[in-house]
Amino acid sequence: MRRPGLAGLGVNLAGFLLALWAAPRLPGLWRALFPEIARPVWESQGWFALLFEHLLLALGAAALATLIGLGAGIACTRGAGRRLRPVFDAAFALAQAIPPVAVIALALPLLGFGAAPTLLALVLYSALPVMRSTVTGLDAVPATVLDAARGLGMGSGRILARVELPLALPVIQAGLRVAVVLAIATTAVGAVAGAQCLGTPIVTGLANGNTAWVLQGAVFTAWLALIADQALRLGLAPPR
Amino acid sequence: MIRFEGVTRRYGERAAVDHVTLEVAKGRLCVLLGESGSGKSTLLRMVNRLAEPSAGRVLLRGRDVAGIEPETLRRGIGYVIQSVGLFPHWQVAENIATVPRLLGWETGRIATRVDALLALVGLDPARFRDRYPHELSGGQAQRVGLARALAADPPVLLMDEPFSALDPGTRRDLQRELRRIHGETGKTILFVTHDVEEALALADLLAVLEDGRLIAQGRPAQVMEQDGERSVRRLFGEESMAFHRLATLPAQALAQPEDAEDDLPVLPAGASLKQALLLMLELGADRVAVLPDGPHGGGTLYWADLVRAA
Repeated sequence: MRRPGLAGLGVNLAGFLLALWAAPRLPGLWRALFPEIARPVWESQGWFALLFEHLLLALGAAALATLIGLGAGIACTRGAGRRLRPVFDAAFALAQAIPPVAVIALALPLLGFGAAPTLLALVLYSALPVMRSTVTGLDAVPATVLDAARGLGMGSGRILARVELPLALPVIQAGLRVAVVLAIATTAVGAVAGAQCLGTPIVTGLANGNTAWVLQGAVFTAWLALIADQALRLGLAPPR
Repeated sequence: MIRFEGVTRRYGERAAVDHVTLEVAKGRLCVLLGESGSGKSTLLRMVNRLAEPSAGRVLLRGRDVAGIEPETLRRGIGYVIQSVGLFPHWQVAENIATVPRLLGWETGRIATRVDALLALVGLDPARFRDRYPHELSGGQAQRVGLARALAADPPVLLMDEPFSALDPGTRRDLQRELRRIHGETGKTILFVTHDVEEALALADLLAVLEDGRLIAQGRPAQVMEQDGERSVRRLFGEESMAFHRLATLPAQALAQPEDAEDDLPVLPAGASLKQALLLMLELGADRVAVLPDGPHGGGTLYWADLVRAA
Protein backbone atom coordinates (compact mmCIF):
# COMPACT_ATOMS: atom_id res chain seq x y z
CA MET A 1 0.00 0.00 0.00
CA ARG A 2 1.35 3.43 -0.93
CA ARG A 3 0.04 5.12 2.20
CA PRO A 4 0.47 2.63 5.03
CA GLY A 5 -1.18 4.99 7.54
CA LEU A 6 -4.46 5.11 5.64
CA ALA A 7 -5.91 2.02 7.31
CA GLY A 8 -5.02 3.37 10.76
CA LEU A 9 -6.75 6.63 9.96
CA GLY A 10 -9.86 4.78 8.78
CA VAL A 11 -10.04 2.75 12.00
CA ASN A 12 -9.52 5.86 14.12
CA LEU A 13 -12.20 7.82 12.26
CA ALA A 14 -14.69 4.95 12.40
CA GLY A 15 -14.06 4.57 16.14
CA PHE A 16 -14.65 8.29 16.65
CA LEU A 17 -17.94 8.35 14.72
CA LEU A 18 -19.10 5.22 16.48
CA ALA A 19 -18.32 6.76 19.88
CA LEU A 20 -20.26 9.93 18.94
CA TRP A 21 -23.21 7.80 17.92
CA ALA A 22 -23.04 5.61 21.03
CA ALA A 23 -22.48 8.34 23.66
CA PRO A 24 -26.17 9.26 24.18
CA ARG A 25 -27.23 5.61 23.85
CA LEU A 26 -25.22 4.32 26.81
CA PRO A 27 -26.82 5.85 29.91
CA GLY A 28 -25.72 2.80 31.93
CA LEU A 29 -22.06 3.45 31.22
CA TRP A 30 -22.22 7.13 32.26
CA ARG A 31 -24.19 6.33 35.43
CA ALA A 32 -21.59 3.74 36.36
CA LEU A 33 -18.72 6.18 35.73
CA PHE A 34 -20.40 9.19 37.38
CA PRO A 35 -22.74 7.76 40.07
CA GLU A 36 -22.99 11.12 41.91
CA ILE A 37 -24.28 13.03 38.84
CA ALA A 38 -28.04 13.05 38.26
CA ARG A 39 -28.03 13.52 34.44
CA PRO A 40 -24.66 12.35 33.11
CA VAL A 41 -25.87 11.83 29.51
CA TRP A 42 -25.47 14.87 27.19
CA GLU A 43 -28.80 15.30 25.43
CA SER A 44 -29.17 19.05 24.83
CA GLN A 45 -27.82 18.85 21.26
CA GLY A 46 -26.90 15.98 18.96
CA TRP A 47 -23.15 15.20 18.89
CA PHE A 48 -23.11 15.16 15.09
CA ALA A 49 -24.65 18.63 14.93
CA LEU A 50 -21.98 19.87 17.33
CA LEU A 51 -19.27 18.15 15.29
CA PHE A 52 -20.54 19.80 12.12
CA GLU A 53 -20.58 23.27 13.70
CA HIS A 54 -17.15 22.64 15.21
CA LEU A 55 -15.61 21.66 11.88
CA LEU A 56 -17.29 24.54 10.08
CA LEU A 57 -15.81 27.03 12.55
CA ALA A 58 -12.37 25.43 12.70
CA LEU A 59 -11.92 24.89 8.97
CA GLY A 60 -13.37 28.29 8.12
CA ALA A 61 -10.90 29.88 10.52
CA ALA A 62 -8.03 27.80 9.16
CA ALA A 63 -8.93 28.80 5.60
CA LEU A 64 -8.96 32.48 6.52
CA ALA A 65 -5.71 32.09 8.47
CA THR A 66 -4.16 30.40 5.44
CA LEU A 67 -5.17 33.24 3.14
CA ILE A 68 -3.84 35.85 5.54
CA GLY A 69 -0.69 33.96 6.55
CA LEU A 70 0.19 32.94 3.00
CA GLY A 71 -0.44 36.45 1.69
CA ALA A 72 1.63 38.05 4.44
CA GLY A 73 4.41 35.48 4.02
CA ILE A 74 4.60 36.08 0.28
CA ALA A 75 4.39 39.86 0.68
CA CYS A 76 7.25 40.12 3.13
CA THR A 77 9.69 37.99 1.12
CA ARG A 78 9.80 40.21 -1.97
CA GLY A 79 10.40 43.74 -3.12
CA ALA A 80 9.41 46.56 -0.82
CA GLY A 81 7.59 44.10 1.48
CA ARG A 82 10.92 42.85 2.84
CA ARG A 83 11.12 45.95 5.02
CA LEU A 84 7.72 45.08 6.53
CA ARG A 85 8.95 41.69 7.65
CA PRO A 86 9.82 42.60 11.26
CA VAL A 87 6.49 44.41 11.57
CA PHE A 88 4.55 41.39 10.25
CA ASP A 89 6.56 39.06 12.45
CA ALA A 90 5.79 41.10 15.56
CA ALA A 91 2.11 41.55 14.67
CA PHE A 92 1.52 37.85 14.04
CA ALA A 93 3.46 36.81 17.12
CA LEU A 94 1.44 39.24 19.22
CA ALA A 95 -1.79 37.91 17.72
CA GLN A 96 -0.82 34.42 18.77
CA ALA A 97 0.42 35.49 22.17
CA ILE A 98 -3.02 36.73 23.23
CA PRO A 99 -5.00 33.71 24.50
CA PRO A 100 -8.07 33.03 22.29
CA VAL A 101 -10.32 33.24 25.32
CA ALA A 102 -9.07 36.79 25.94
CA VAL A 103 -9.64 37.72 22.31
CA ILE A 104 -13.20 36.44 22.58
CA ALA A 105 -13.79 38.39 25.77
CA LEU A 106 -12.38 41.57 24.23
CA ALA A 107 -14.33 41.12 21.00
CA LEU A 108 -17.68 40.37 22.63
CA PRO A 109 -18.76 44.01 22.98
CA LEU A 110 -18.00 44.62 19.30
CA LEU A 111 -19.06 41.39 17.63
CA GLY A 112 -21.65 40.10 20.05
CA PHE A 113 -22.10 36.46 21.06
CA GLY A 114 -21.74 33.45 18.77
CA ALA A 115 -19.49 32.44 15.94
CA ALA A 116 -18.04 35.84 14.97
CA PRO A 117 -15.75 36.47 18.00
CA THR A 118 -14.73 32.79 17.94
CA LEU A 119 -13.75 33.01 14.29
CA LEU A 120 -11.69 36.14 14.99
CA ALA A 121 -9.88 34.49 17.88
CA LEU A 122 -9.13 31.35 15.86
CA VAL A 123 -7.83 33.27 12.85
CA LEU A 124 -5.54 35.38 15.02
CA TYR A 125 -4.31 32.27 16.77
CA SER A 126 -3.57 30.13 13.71
CA ALA A 127 -2.29 32.67 11.17
CA LEU A 128 1.20 32.78 12.70
CA PRO A 129 2.28 29.21 11.88
CA VAL A 130 1.12 29.67 8.29
CA MET A 131 3.02 32.92 7.88
CA ARG A 132 6.15 31.59 9.56
CA SER A 133 6.23 28.45 7.45
CA THR A 134 5.57 30.42 4.26
CA VAL A 135 8.47 32.76 5.00
CA THR A 136 10.76 29.87 5.98
CA GLY A 137 9.83 27.87 2.90
CA LEU A 138 10.28 30.78 0.50
CA ASP A 139 13.57 31.80 2.13
CA ALA A 140 14.92 28.30 1.58
CA VAL A 141 14.51 28.46 -2.20
CA PRO A 142 18.12 28.68 -3.47
CA ALA A 143 19.08 32.12 -4.75
CA THR A 144 20.83 30.49 -7.71
CA VAL A 145 17.58 28.86 -8.83
CA LEU A 146 15.88 32.25 -8.72
CA ASP A 147 18.76 33.84 -10.65
CA ALA A 148 18.46 31.15 -13.31
CA ALA A 149 14.68 31.60 -13.47
CA ARG A 150 15.03 35.35 -13.96
CA GLY A 151 17.86 34.91 -16.45
CA LEU A 152 15.75 32.55 -18.56
CA GLY A 153 13.04 35.18 -18.82
CA MET A 154 10.42 34.07 -16.28
CA GLY A 155 8.34 36.93 -14.83
CA SER A 156 8.09 37.36 -11.07
CA GLY A 157 4.50 36.05 -10.89
CA ARG A 158 5.45 32.94 -12.82
CA ILE A 159 8.56 32.41 -10.70
CA LEU A 160 6.38 32.55 -7.57
CA ALA A 161 3.76 30.15 -8.91
CA ARG A 162 5.95 27.69 -10.81
CA VAL A 163 9.20 27.71 -8.84
CA GLU A 164 9.02 29.29 -5.39
CA LEU A 165 5.69 27.96 -4.06
CA PRO A 166 6.22 24.40 -5.35
CA LEU A 167 9.67 24.29 -3.75
CA ALA A 168 8.39 25.82 -0.50
CA LEU A 169 5.30 23.60 -0.42
CA PRO A 170 6.52 20.88 1.99
CA VAL A 171 7.39 23.52 4.59
CA ILE A 172 4.18 25.48 4.03
CA GLN A 173 2.14 22.29 4.37
CA ALA A 174 3.73 21.61 7.73
CA GLY A 175 2.60 25.08 8.85
CA LEU A 176 -0.90 24.47 7.51
CA ARG A 177 -1.13 21.26 9.48
CA VAL A 178 -0.19 23.06 12.67
CA ALA A 179 -2.75 25.79 11.91
CA VAL A 180 -5.60 23.34 11.26
CA VAL A 181 -4.85 21.26 14.35
CA LEU A 182 -4.57 24.40 16.48
CA ALA A 183 -7.87 25.68 15.11
CA ILE A 184 -9.70 22.40 15.72
CA ALA A 185 -8.37 22.05 19.24
CA THR A 186 -9.01 25.69 20.12
CA THR A 187 -12.50 25.99 18.64
CA ALA A 188 -13.86 24.48 21.85
CA VAL A 189 -13.15 27.83 23.55
CA GLY A 190 -15.81 29.35 21.31
CA ALA A 191 -18.46 27.80 23.52
CA VAL A 192 -17.66 30.56 26.05
CA ALA A 193 -19.09 33.04 23.55
CA GLY A 194 -22.05 30.80 22.87
CA ALA A 195 -20.79 29.30 19.60
CA GLN A 196 -22.09 25.78 19.06
CA CYS A 197 -19.23 23.31 18.98
CA LEU A 198 -17.74 20.31 20.77
CA GLY A 199 -16.77 22.76 23.54
CA THR A 200 -20.43 23.45 24.36
CA PRO A 201 -20.78 20.40 26.69
CA ILE A 202 -17.49 21.39 28.38
CA VAL A 203 -18.64 24.95 29.16
CA THR A 204 -22.15 23.90 30.10
CA GLY A 205 -20.77 21.09 32.26
CA LEU A 206 -18.38 23.48 34.03
CA ALA A 207 -21.23 25.89 34.71
CA ASN A 208 -23.40 23.14 36.16
CA GLY A 209 -20.76 21.09 37.95
CA ASN A 210 -21.41 18.22 35.53
CA THR A 211 -18.02 16.54 35.05
CA ALA A 212 -19.56 13.85 32.82
CA TRP A 213 -20.42 16.46 30.16
CA VAL A 214 -16.99 18.09 30.57
CA LEU A 215 -15.27 14.77 30.06
CA GLN A 216 -17.28 13.84 26.96
CA GLY A 217 -16.73 17.24 25.30
CA ALA A 218 -13.00 17.18 26.11
CA VAL A 219 -12.44 13.65 24.84
CA PHE A 220 -14.26 14.29 21.56
CA THR A 221 -12.45 17.60 20.96
CA ALA A 222 -9.03 16.07 21.54
CA TRP A 223 -9.92 12.99 19.50
CA LEU A 224 -11.00 15.14 16.55
CA ALA A 225 -7.77 17.16 16.68
CA LEU A 226 -5.72 13.94 16.66
CA ILE A 227 -7.66 12.61 13.67
CA ALA A 228 -7.09 15.88 11.82
CA ASP A 229 -3.36 15.73 12.53
CA GLN A 230 -3.20 12.12 11.37
CA ALA A 231 -5.15 12.88 8.20
CA LEU A 232 -3.05 15.92 7.30
CA ARG A 233 0.18 14.02 7.82
CA LEU A 234 -1.06 11.46 5.32
CA GLY A 235 -2.18 14.13 2.91
CA LEU A 236 1.28 15.72 2.71
CA ALA A 237 3.25 15.13 -0.42
CA PRO A 238 6.33 13.05 0.46
CA PRO A 239 9.38 15.36 0.17
CA ARG A 240 11.32 14.72 -3.01
CA MET B 1 26.55 41.48 -32.00
CA ILE B 2 27.18 42.73 -28.46
CA ARG B 3 28.56 46.21 -27.88
CA PHE B 4 29.37 47.86 -24.58
CA GLU B 5 29.62 51.63 -24.99
CA GLY B 6 31.29 53.44 -22.09
CA VAL B 7 29.44 51.23 -19.64
CA THR B 8 29.71 52.03 -15.93
CA ARG B 9 28.01 50.45 -12.95
CA ARG B 10 28.35 52.11 -9.58
CA TYR B 11 27.36 50.62 -6.25
CA GLY B 12 27.50 53.61 -3.93
CA GLU B 13 30.92 55.20 -4.35
CA ARG B 14 32.53 52.12 -5.86
CA ALA B 15 32.47 51.49 -9.59
CA ALA B 16 32.05 47.75 -10.19
CA VAL B 17 32.34 48.40 -13.91
CA ASP B 18 34.20 51.52 -15.03
CA HIS B 19 33.80 52.95 -18.55
CA VAL B 20 34.08 49.70 -20.44
CA THR B 21 33.87 49.81 -24.22
CA LEU B 22 34.02 46.46 -25.94
CA GLU B 23 32.66 45.00 -29.14
CA VAL B 24 32.00 41.29 -29.61
CA ALA B 25 31.40 40.38 -33.25
CA LYS B 26 28.90 37.73 -34.31
CA GLY B 27 30.10 34.18 -33.81
CA ARG B 28 33.01 35.07 -31.51
CA LEU B 29 33.72 33.38 -28.20
CA CYS B 30 34.72 36.27 -25.99
CA VAL B 31 36.19 35.47 -22.58
CA LEU B 32 35.97 38.10 -19.84
CA LEU B 33 38.93 37.31 -17.61
CA GLY B 34 39.55 38.84 -14.22
CA GLU B 35 39.83 38.15 -10.52
CA SER B 36 36.79 38.17 -8.26
CA GLY B 37 35.49 41.71 -7.85
CA SER B 38 36.90 42.79 -11.22
CA GLY B 39 33.38 43.46 -12.51
CA LYS B 40 33.32 40.72 -15.14
CA SER B 41 30.05 39.14 -13.94
CA THR B 42 28.37 42.52 -13.59
CA LEU B 43 29.40 43.34 -17.15
CA LEU B 44 27.96 40.06 -18.39
CA ARG B 45 24.70 40.52 -16.46
CA MET B 46 24.14 43.88 -18.10
CA VAL B 47 23.58 42.15 -21.43
CA ASN B 48 20.38 40.45 -20.20
CA ARG B 49 19.51 43.26 -17.81
CA LEU B 50 20.06 41.33 -14.59
CA ALA B 51 22.20 44.40 -13.87
CA GLU B 52 21.59 47.88 -15.23
CA PRO B 53 24.37 50.29 -16.22
CA SER B 54 24.64 53.55 -14.25
CA ALA B 55 26.05 55.18 -17.37
CA GLY B 56 26.72 54.12 -20.95
CA ARG B 57 24.70 51.58 -22.87
CA VAL B 58 24.73 47.99 -24.03
CA LEU B 59 23.74 47.23 -27.60
CA LEU B 60 22.56 43.84 -28.79
CA ARG B 61 22.38 43.56 -32.57
CA GLY B 62 22.43 47.35 -32.69
CA ARG B 63 19.54 47.82 -30.23
CA ASP B 64 19.95 49.35 -26.81
CA VAL B 65 18.89 46.58 -24.40
CA ALA B 66 17.43 49.22 -22.05
CA GLY B 67 14.61 49.60 -24.58
CA ILE B 68 13.72 45.90 -24.62
CA GLU B 69 11.33 44.45 -22.04
CA PRO B 70 13.54 42.30 -19.71
CA GLU B 71 11.58 39.04 -19.99
CA THR B 72 11.46 39.22 -23.79
CA LEU B 73 15.14 40.10 -23.91
CA ARG B 74 16.14 37.19 -21.65
CA ARG B 75 14.13 34.59 -23.57
CA GLY B 76 16.30 35.44 -26.57
CA ILE B 77 19.62 35.02 -24.73
CA GLY B 78 21.02 31.78 -23.33
CA TYR B 79 22.18 32.04 -19.70
CA VAL B 80 24.42 29.58 -17.86
CA ILE B 81 25.70 30.12 -14.30
CA GLN B 82 28.30 28.50 -12.09
CA SER B 83 25.80 26.91 -9.73
CA VAL B 84 23.76 25.72 -12.74
CA GLY B 85 20.48 26.59 -11.00
CA LEU B 86 18.44 23.71 -12.40
CA PHE B 87 14.88 23.66 -11.05
CA PRO B 88 15.07 20.81 -8.51
CA HIS B 89 11.38 19.86 -8.79
CA TRP B 90 11.46 19.45 -12.57
CA GLN B 91 12.89 16.59 -14.59
CA VAL B 92 15.75 17.21 -16.99
CA ALA B 93 13.41 17.45 -19.98
CA GLU B 94 11.19 20.03 -18.24
CA ASN B 95 14.25 22.03 -17.22
CA ILE B 96 15.52 22.15 -20.78
CA ALA B 97 12.04 23.03 -22.05
CA THR B 98 11.77 26.12 -19.81
CA VAL B 99 12.22 28.78 -22.46
CA PRO B 100 10.40 26.95 -25.32
CA ARG B 101 7.43 26.61 -22.96
CA LEU B 102 7.59 30.30 -22.10
CA LEU B 103 7.57 30.98 -25.84
CA GLY B 104 4.52 28.74 -26.27
CA TRP B 105 6.04 26.03 -28.48
CA GLU B 106 3.84 23.01 -29.08
CA THR B 107 4.56 19.81 -27.13
CA GLY B 108 5.84 17.69 -30.01
CA ARG B 109 8.32 20.32 -31.13
CA ILE B 110 9.57 20.73 -27.56
CA ALA B 111 10.11 16.98 -27.10
CA THR B 112 12.08 16.73 -30.35
CA ARG B 113 14.17 19.75 -29.41
CA VAL B 114 14.91 18.40 -25.91
CA ASP B 115 16.23 15.12 -27.30
CA ALA B 116 18.34 16.91 -29.92
CA LEU B 117 19.85 19.15 -27.25
CA LEU B 118 20.64 16.27 -24.89
CA ALA B 119 22.47 14.59 -27.76
CA LEU B 120 24.29 17.84 -28.57
CA VAL B 121 25.65 18.16 -25.03
CA GLY B 122 26.65 14.49 -24.97
CA LEU B 123 23.90 12.97 -22.80
CA ASP B 124 21.81 9.99 -23.94
CA PRO B 125 18.22 11.33 -24.19
CA ALA B 126 16.63 8.00 -23.24
CA ARG B 127 18.70 7.77 -20.05
CA PHE B 128 18.62 11.38 -18.94
CA ARG B 129 15.40 13.11 -19.96
CA ASP B 130 13.33 11.77 -17.04
CA ARG B 131 15.93 12.26 -14.31
CA TYR B 132 15.69 14.82 -11.57
CA PRO B 133 18.59 17.26 -11.01
CA HIS B 134 19.62 15.55 -7.76
CA GLU B 135 20.28 12.38 -9.75
CA LEU B 136 22.95 14.09 -11.88
CA SER B 137 26.68 14.57 -11.30
CA GLY B 138 28.08 18.11 -11.38
CA GLY B 139 29.30 17.72 -14.94
CA GLN B 140 26.01 16.22 -16.14
CA ALA B 141 24.05 18.99 -14.43
CA GLN B 142 26.09 21.66 -16.18
CA ARG B 143 25.59 19.89 -19.52
CA VAL B 144 21.85 20.10 -18.85
CA GLY B 145 22.32 23.76 -17.88
CA LEU B 146 23.99 24.36 -21.24
CA ALA B 147 21.21 22.50 -23.08
CA ARG B 148 18.61 24.60 -21.25
CA ALA B 149 20.39 27.78 -22.30
CA LEU B 150 20.49 26.64 -25.94
CA ALA B 151 16.87 25.42 -25.99
CA ALA B 152 15.21 28.18 -27.96
CA ASP B 153 18.27 28.53 -30.22
CA PRO B 154 19.28 32.01 -29.01
CA PRO B 155 22.01 33.70 -31.08
CA VAL B 156 23.81 34.81 -27.92
CA LEU B 157 24.97 32.79 -24.93
CA LEU B 158 26.04 34.28 -21.59
CA MET B 159 28.12 31.97 -19.42
CA ASP B 160 29.08 33.07 -15.91
CA GLU B 161 31.92 30.87 -14.61
CA PRO B 162 30.03 27.80 -15.82
CA PHE B 163 32.80 25.28 -15.20
CA SER B 164 34.50 26.76 -12.14
CA ALA B 165 32.87 24.42 -9.63
CA LEU B 166 33.72 21.24 -11.55
CA ASP B 167 36.60 18.79 -11.16
CA PRO B 168 39.59 19.55 -13.41
CA GLY B 169 38.97 16.54 -15.68
CA THR B 170 35.27 17.30 -16.10
CA ARG B 171 36.12 20.95 -16.65
CA ARG B 172 38.51 20.14 -19.51
CA ASP B 173 35.90 17.80 -21.07
CA LEU B 174 33.28 20.52 -20.97
CA GLN B 175 35.69 23.13 -22.35
CA ARG B 176 36.31 20.82 -25.31
CA GLU B 177 32.56 20.26 -25.72
CA LEU B 178 31.90 24.00 -25.60
CA ARG B 179 34.48 24.65 -28.33
CA ARG B 180 32.84 21.95 -30.42
CA ILE B 181 29.32 23.30 -29.83
CA HIS B 182 30.54 26.81 -30.55
CA GLY B 183 32.01 25.58 -33.81
CA GLU B 184 28.83 23.69 -34.77
CA THR B 185 26.29 26.35 -33.82
CA GLY B 186 28.16 29.59 -34.49
CA LYS B 187 26.71 31.23 -31.36
CA THR B 188 28.13 34.46 -30.05
CA ILE B 189 29.35 33.58 -26.57
CA LEU B 190 30.33 35.81 -23.68
CA PHE B 191 32.17 33.68 -21.13
CA VAL B 192 33.26 34.85 -17.67
CA THR B 193 36.12 33.13 -15.85
CA HIS B 194 38.93 33.82 -13.40
CA ASP B 195 40.89 30.80 -14.68
CA VAL B 196 43.75 31.88 -16.96
CA GLU B 197 44.21 28.49 -18.61
CA GLU B 198 40.49 28.16 -19.26
CA ALA B 199 40.45 31.63 -20.81
CA LEU B 200 43.34 30.80 -23.13
CA ALA B 201 41.85 27.42 -24.03
CA LEU B 202 38.50 28.93 -25.08
CA ALA B 203 38.87 32.53 -26.14
CA ASP B 204 39.04 33.78 -29.65
CA LEU B 205 38.58 37.22 -28.14
CA LEU B 206 40.01 37.91 -24.70
CA ALA B 207 39.03 40.87 -22.53
CA VAL B 208 40.92 41.34 -19.26
CA LEU B 209 39.29 43.27 -16.44
CA GLU B 210 40.76 44.71 -13.30
CA ASP B 211 38.85 46.80 -10.73
CA GLY B 212 36.06 47.32 -13.23
CA ARG B 213 38.35 48.61 -15.96
CA LEU B 214 39.14 46.85 -19.22
CA ILE B 215 42.94 46.65 -19.18
CA ALA B 216 43.53 44.54 -22.28
CA GLN B 217 41.55 43.09 -25.16
CA GLY B 218 42.25 41.32 -28.39
CA ARG B 219 43.07 37.87 -29.64
CA PRO B 220 44.78 35.88 -26.87
CA ALA B 221 48.16 36.08 -28.65
CA GLN B 222 47.84 39.88 -28.88
CA VAL B 223 46.93 40.19 -25.22
CA MET B 224 49.93 38.10 -24.24
CA GLU B 225 52.17 40.42 -26.28
CA GLN B 226 50.92 43.39 -24.27
CA ASP B 227 53.00 42.16 -21.37
CA GLY B 228 54.26 45.67 -20.75
CA GLU B 229 51.03 46.07 -18.81
CA ARG B 230 51.97 45.19 -15.25
CA SER B 231 48.44 44.12 -14.28
CA VAL B 232 48.25 41.64 -17.13
CA ARG B 233 51.58 40.14 -16.09
CA ARG B 234 50.38 39.89 -12.51
CA LEU B 235 47.08 38.21 -13.48
CA PHE B 236 48.76 35.60 -15.65
CA GLY B 237 51.60 35.13 -13.17
CA GLU B 238 55.01 36.72 -13.87
CA GLU B 239 56.85 33.42 -13.95
CA SER B 240 54.33 31.65 -16.22
CA MET B 241 53.99 34.36 -18.90
CA ALA B 242 56.15 32.47 -21.39
CA PHE B 243 54.18 29.28 -20.83
CA HIS B 244 50.82 30.99 -21.32
CA ARG B 245 52.13 32.77 -24.42
CA LEU B 246 52.99 29.38 -25.92
CA ALA B 247 49.36 28.37 -25.39
CA THR B 248 48.23 31.14 -27.76
CA LEU B 249 50.59 30.27 -30.64
CA PRO B 250 49.94 27.48 -33.17
CA ALA B 251 52.68 24.86 -33.45
CA GLN B 252 52.56 24.93 -37.25
CA ALA B 253 53.88 28.49 -37.40
CA LEU B 254 57.29 27.40 -36.10
CA ALA B 255 57.59 24.06 -37.85
CA GLN B 256 60.54 23.68 -40.27
CA PRO B 257 59.04 22.73 -43.65
CA GLU B 258 60.84 19.47 -44.09
CA ASP B 259 59.71 15.88 -44.29
CA ALA B 260 59.63 14.65 -40.72
CA GLU B 261 61.51 11.50 -39.83
CA ASP B 262 59.17 8.55 -39.56
CA ASP B 263 59.78 7.67 -35.92
CA LEU B 264 59.18 11.16 -34.47
CA PRO B 265 56.30 11.70 -32.01
CA VAL B 266 53.37 13.31 -33.84
CA LEU B 267 51.54 16.42 -32.62
CA PRO B 268 47.80 16.54 -33.41
CA ALA B 269 46.65 19.06 -36.03
CA GLY B 270 45.81 22.50 -34.64
CA ALA B 271 47.87 22.00 -31.47
CA SER B 272 49.47 24.95 -29.69
CA LEU B 273 53.15 25.40 -28.85
CA LYS B 274 52.21 24.69 -25.24
CA GLN B 275 50.94 21.24 -26.22
CA ALA B 276 54.14 20.71 -28.25
CA LEU B 277 56.26 21.66 -25.25
CA LEU B 278 54.32 19.31 -22.97
CA LEU B 279 54.64 16.47 -25.49
CA MET B 280 58.42 17.00 -25.72
CA LEU B 281 58.76 17.07 -21.93
CA GLU B 282 56.60 13.99 -21.60
CA LEU B 283 58.59 11.95 -24.13
CA GLY B 284 62.01 13.52 -23.56
CA ALA B 285 62.15 14.40 -27.27
CA ASP B 286 63.93 17.43 -28.73
CA ARG B 287 61.72 17.56 -31.84
CA VAL B 288 58.22 16.50 -32.88
CA ALA B 289 56.44 16.02 -36.19
CA VAL B 290 53.69 18.53 -36.99
CA LEU B 291 50.80 17.50 -39.23
CA PRO B 292 49.70 19.86 -41.98
CA ASP B 293 46.60 21.93 -41.13
CA GLY B 294 44.88 24.60 -43.22
CA PRO B 295 47.28 27.25 -44.50
CA HIS B 296 50.26 25.70 -42.74
CA GLY B 297 52.19 22.81 -44.14
CA GLY B 298 53.49 20.11 -41.86
CA GLY B 299 57.07 19.70 -40.81
CA THR B 300 59.34 19.26 -37.84
CA LEU B 301 59.23 21.44 -34.73
CA TYR B 302 62.57 21.80 -32.92
CA TRP B 303 63.05 22.43 -29.18
CA ALA B 304 65.42 25.32 -29.90
CA ASP B 305 62.84 27.15 -32.06
CA LEU B 306 60.19 26.66 -29.40
CA VAL B 307 62.38 28.07 -26.64
CA ARG B 308 63.21 31.13 -28.78
CA ALA B 309 59.50 31.76 -29.42
CA ALA B 310 58.68 31.82 -25.72
